[in-house]
Amino acid sequence: MNLFAVIVGAGDVDPAQSLNWLFPATSELIYGGLASIIIFSLIYKFAGPAAKKGLADRTAKIQAELDGAEQALSSAKAEAAEIRRAAGDIAAERQRLLAEADSQASALLADGRARLSAEIADMESRAESEIMGMSGRMGDELRVEVGRLSSEAVDRLVADTVDGATQQALIEDFIRKVGAGS
Amino acid sequence: MSDARIEGYARALFEIARAEGTLDEVEDELFRFARSYESSDALRSALTDEMVPAERRQAVVESLLGGKSTATTIQLISMVVGSGRGRDLPEVIDRLVSRASESKDLAVAEVRSAVALSDDQQQRLAAALANATGRQVNLKVVIDPSIIGGIVATVGDTVIDGSVRTRVEELKSRL
Repeated sequence: MNLFAVIVGAGDVDPAQSLNWLFPATSELIYGGLASIIIFSLIYKFAGPAAKKGLADRTAKIQAELDGAEQALSSAKAEAAEIRRAAGDIAAERQRLLAEADSQASALLADGRARLSAEIADMESRAESEIMGMSGRMGDELRVEVGRLSSEAVDRLVADTVDGATQQALIEDFIRKVGAGS
Repeated sequence: MSDARIEGYARALFEIARAEGTLDEVEDELFRFARSYESSDALRSALTDEMVPAERRQAVVESLLGGKSTATTIQLISMVVGSGRGRDLPEVIDRLVSRASESKDLAVAEVRSAVALSDDQQQRLAAALANATGRQVNLKVVIDPSIIGGIVATVGDTVIDGSVRTRVEELKSRL
């Protein structure tokens, strides 16, 4: 039976012979009240600590999460500060590296110029030396050739000049000089 | 050949020529032959080739000197060549000449000239060399066209060089 039928049907029955449609019987109230007290007491006794523990754990967990979040926040702030500091360092390092590169480039350039100058001077010196040597060799060859031609000319001249009369003159001259040399 | 053996040959030749009474002539002929031997490769080769029989080498000597030299000279050279000592012939002869000159208390004067010297020139040259060296000389004239002109005289260790060749060489070296 539904509630509506109970309410509607309440007018049809004798209130003295039936239960009040609103209030239960007294004994029922007493038994019910006692049962409720017992049930709530049991619940309080046995389920209460577990519930309290669960609430306490939840609270602790939330607190831990809050603490973790706080720590993460401070770490993030620290990291941000570190990154900002590192960024500053990177800029300084970049400047230092650029300056060092400029310095090295300047040194290399100066060294290269000096080496190039030395090589040019060396090449000039060698070229000059080779030119002098070549000139000397050519002079030597020329002298040898002149000497050879002169020797041939002397041989021909002597062969043409030393005739019989000259031979006799040379012999007489030799005899005279040897005799005079004593 | 050892020095003693060369000396032995020279002494033997000297004694034979002196015994024959032709020492001066033989000595002169031997000296001339030695100079010819030194200047001729063909002659040296013919007289020293051991593949050629000794009789053949001696026949070469006789054909070269026959009618131009005394029999003693030909026999002496043939003896040395036949005994297989042709290579030492100039040295043996030079020793003989020295020995002959020493026996007469003379110094050997080897005179090289491009042309032949007359007897008068030889006498005057011998006198001049004697004056220059302080010893009488046994003049040995060698005709050597390579000196071109003038005279080169060698007496012992002394060389008097009046040759055109030497003057030309000096001139060439200066050039």
